[in-house]
Amino acid sequence: MSTRTYKKFEASDSGDIPDKMTIYQDCMNQFNESPVNSKRCRTLLSRLLRLLANGETFTESEATALFFSVSKLFQHQNDSLRQLVYLAIKELSKISQDVLMATSSIMKDVQNGSDLIKPNAIRSLTVVLDETTAFSAERLLKSAMVSKHPTISSAAIATCYNLLPVSEQTIKRFSNEAQEAIVDLKYFPQDPSNTEFYPNSTFITQYHALGLIYELKKNDKMALLKLVNQFAGNNSIKSQIAKVQLVKIVSELVNKDPQLFTQFQPLFNNWLGNKFESIQLETAKLITNFHATHPRLVAPQLFSIAIATLQNLLSVPRVATRFSALRILNRLSMVTPDHVAVCNPELESLINDSNRNISTYAITILLKTGTAKNISSLISTITKFIHEVSDDFKIIIIDAVRTLSLNFPQEWKSILNFLIDVLKNGEGGFKFKNNIVEAIIDVVAFVPQSKEMALENLCDFIEDCEFNEILVRVLHLLGKEGPTASNPSLYVRHIYNRVVLENSIIRSASVIALSKFAISKNDTSLRESIVSLLKRIANDKDDEVRDRATIALKFIDTSTANEPTSSLADELIHPTSAYDLASLESKLSSYLSENNDSFKTPFDVTNIRKYSDDELKAINLKRKQEQLQKGTFENGMESSPKMAKKSDNKYGKRIDSDTYSSPNIDEQQQELLDTKYSDELLSMAEFQNFGKLVNSSKIVALTEPEAEFVVRGIKHIFKDHVVFQFNITNTLTDVALDNVVVSCNPEEPEESQLQELFIIPIERLLPSAEASCYIAYSKTEDVVTESFLNTITFTTKELDPQTNEPFEADEGFQDEYEIDTLYLSTGDYIKSSFIGNFTATFDELPNEEVAVYNIQESITLQEVVDKLITSTSCLPLENTQFVHSDTNSHILKLFGKSALNGSKVALVIKLIKSSKGIALKAQGKAENATLCSDLVNNLI
Amino acid sequence: MGNYFSSMFDKLWGSNKEIRILILGLDGAGKTTILYRLQIGEVVTTKPTIGFNVETLTYKNLKLNVWDLGGQTSIRPYWRCYYTDTAAVIFVVDSTDKDRMSTASKELHMMLQEEELQDSALLVFANKQDQPGALTASEVSKELNLVELKERSWSIVASSAIKGEGITEGLDWLIDVIKEEQL
Repeated sequence: MSTRTYKKFEASDSGDIPDKMTIYQDCMNQFNESPVNSKRCRTLLSRLLRLLANGETFTESEATALFFSVSKLFQHQNDSLRQLVYLAIKELSKISQDVLMATSSIMKDVQNGSDLIKPNAIRSLTVVLDETTAFSAERLLKSAMVSKHPTISSAAIATCYNLLPVSEQTIKRFSNEAQEAIVDLKYFPQDPSNTEFYPNSTFITQYHALGLIYELKKNDKMALLKLVNQFAGNNSIKSQIAKVQLVKIVSELVNKDPQLFTQFQPLFNNWLGNKFESIQLETAKLITNFHATHPRLVAPQLFSIAIATLQNLLSVPRVATRFSALRILNRLSMVTPDHVAVCNPELESLINDSNRNISTYAITILLKTGTAKNISSLISTITKFIHEVSDDFKIIIIDAVRTLSLNFPQEWKSILNFLIDVLKNGEGGFKFKNNIVEAIIDVVAFVPQSKEMALENLCDFIEDCEFNEILVRVLHLLGKEGPTASNPSLYVRHIYNRVVLENSIIRSASVIALSKFAISKNDTSLRESIVSLLKRIANDKDDEVRDRATIALKFIDTSTANEPTSSLADELIHPTSAYDLASLESKLSSYLSENNDSFKTPFDVTNIRKYSDDELKAINLKRKQEQLQKGTFENGMESSPKMAKKSDNKYGKRIDSDTYSSPNIDEQQQELLDTKYSDELLSMAEFQNFGKLVNSSKIVALTEPEAEFVVRGIKHIFKDHVVFQFNITNTLTDVALDNVVVSCNPEEPEESQLQELFIIPIERLLPSAEASCYIAYSKTEDVVTESFLNTITFTTKELDPQTNEPFEADEGFQDEYEIDTLYLSTGDYIKSSFIGNFTATFDELPNEEVAVYNIQESITLQEVVDKLITSTSCLPLENTQFVHSDTNSHILKLFGKSALNGSKVALVIKLIKSSKGIALKAQGKAENATLCSDLVNNLI
Repeated sequence: MGNYFSSMFDKLWGSNKEIRILILGLDGAGKTTILYRLQIGEVVTTKPTIGFNVETLTYKNLKLNVWDLGGQTSIRPYWRCYYTDTAAVIFVVDSTDKDRMSTASKELHMMLQEEELQDSALLVFANKQDQPGALTASEVSKELNLVELKERSWSIVASSAIKGEGITEGLDWLIDVIKEEQL
């Protein structure tokens, strides 16, 4: 259903929408009449507006005709008619280009109109003025801004605000008037008859004026600081919304310059005790968000006051306040659950809140702040609760439980029991059930002990499941995990039941699952029974099912016959690795679009990266962890810099684009970029004989992001070679760099085990372009770790702005630019990998190495942990990547595999923070002794 | 019966019906000044009209609905949107602006060819007579090629909106013509 028909459908409940063409005709007739019947025209205009508000549109010519007929209503002096005329002009301006014809008439009303229509007239100036005409309205707008009437003043300020992108030059001259409007408290003209019932002012003008001032000065830090100092401390700002905005301005200031935070701390204290809940909320949000990014700058005391404020807000009567406080706490609970734990009593009482949004949030927070001790009791609480809420909330809860299973693997039993209970007994649609099944699949993947119990219950579930998609997923999981379980024949029975009872889609999925049991289990009797089952299925009435059964039988045949092809069959039935889907997709689409010889050359799949099962799990887990963290961070940022989002969309967007201008590559893009770089590298002739690309490092920044030439390095490891890729971005506007070469010098040239082979320079780097310079080395040993001092040398040439080519006579001049050191470390030879049972694996690994470090710098444990994870490129396991902020010690568990030969390496790193710094004891165990000692001894 | 007569009377003398008059002409000819001279009898300071001004005024017991449309090149194309039901057009010419007489003439004749204006009367003000070097009414008439106009009641009046000369004379003529045509 399209939006339009949907809207029609929706409106049919709320009364009939008038027919578009009837309205159009009526408008044209009535408005052109002379004299104008103001009452009838008003009715018609409101019907027209209703039509437009319902999403109806007119063609440009219709809208133009309408506009001109509407403009004729200016001849009538009725104020209420005029108000509607302005509304109509604003609406029609979106379609018709000719609204400037109303300019003179509007300006006349702004000047001489009654107080009733002035605000409308001023606001409609927004749509009729352009850069050239804005100038002529300057005097009018200025005098309206300083008007004593709050509505007129607000209208003028809002109009200036919206005109800013249209005519910056004019509006820039308004800052004095805007400043005046903040200070000036405006009251509605006294009307003795109703003063008792109406407030004599909302002071909303202050909010609008503050917004305009901010827009005018947003790039001037000192001016903003002055603004904040002028208004934050005293009571000159009466409007609640304006105050909230002031908090947001401070939030932006401290996010741009974190050092300012300390100086604002007394102010924050003051704001947290403000009488308005919204200001308390906004301030608490600011502090907690800032804490997430700059934990060291927030005084612990202030932070706990912020939490206490939120805690108090949890029990206020106003629903919206409770909800907002919960949202902030929820975000916080993902990063520092221990801090939120103090609110648990309030949260627990909110579980029974009559507002389901609130109770759901309360539960998800509790799930996150839960400790190993109270998890099971929490789960029993939600078991009762979950059946009472709607599907959407159920899904939120399931997601929370799902992350719980990642954080508390040892609690798998109660978690799984809960999931199974909801799966079997919960009422809900496809999305809900699918989420539960996904959660269970997660538990199975990351907590191996849970496998049997989960599979058995899933078997029960599929006996009575109405969703094909879920059935197929479960069957796939059974086929993948079932054969290695202790009693595979149990699953075979369940799967075969599906073959007998279900439709063809499920039957074909079952066939594949069955065949996996036959091949991977060395149990001849089981295999024989499966073969006989498959033979029966080979007579199925559906083509697909028959085909699959036949091919499965063939595979089983070859794999039992011990022929050379048997491994191939094994591989097909039970794949041990999966392709990197992103790169497979991009390769396939480029294959399709190139189409050199009408697809005679088959698609070459060998270049695409493959991931083994464990690697895939590691990637998934990492992504989930990062999502969790990033989700927290970004959500946290979301509302702070985008001010006044509620009042004005344009506003929000504009600030948004400014604050986020810094490069912010997200995870997905990062991966695509990785693939792109390795593709580019492998496609270059120079690197053809280097063999398979073993590993590529993350992108390392080698300059400040705001440097003139931004350089980022990537280390590519081959079996006998190393290639450094330097991506250089020229940020200058009118200078090209010719013959850009990065010279890399080992810090200790005598001991270097790397032999430089060749350099591929960048011939010409145009302004704001990015290009790569490569340096190739051959290495003598498997693992070589060294650090390199790097300098870029290049010839700068000024560009002719006309042709974008260098001036002919310009010979340019040689220049050098030093960039940061590039470290080739052991971590570059390691790929993160997942292991279900870390402790057991750690004990089993043969070679051990221990090293102790002392870190003198004053950094937090979390920062050390983050650094360790990046430098080792291992995967943190058992949720040890988060450091509880109130402890002084931490144990980090890391696991990875050598990129060269796949040998396992595991690390247990114990950290203790004392007044002298951080002491760090790393215990590494690995299959390969050298790798182990290299890694452990080069941690920092 | 009395009712019938009174409505007849209304129809004839238009005491209820508004008479729609357009003031057109090139930019800076003095259209807006003439409009407000008519309405409030004073000289107002004006800015170039972006769009239009509309005023209702009573003149000799008639309700006039006078539209003053902006004369800038960018606004002239929109004139035609306001032609419907127009009883008369007042075309204002800056008599000192000899260079643009031909442009004014072209705009005038183009406008008069419009179907919707076939029955409208035309009054031309040869404005700015107070300024030195202003062409006389007959000279302007020649420049504008007014004699070519057939089947239309037209007149040209020398005027000065600043001094208030000629405006009422012109309007008197116009009202007479309109009354006559409506009879």
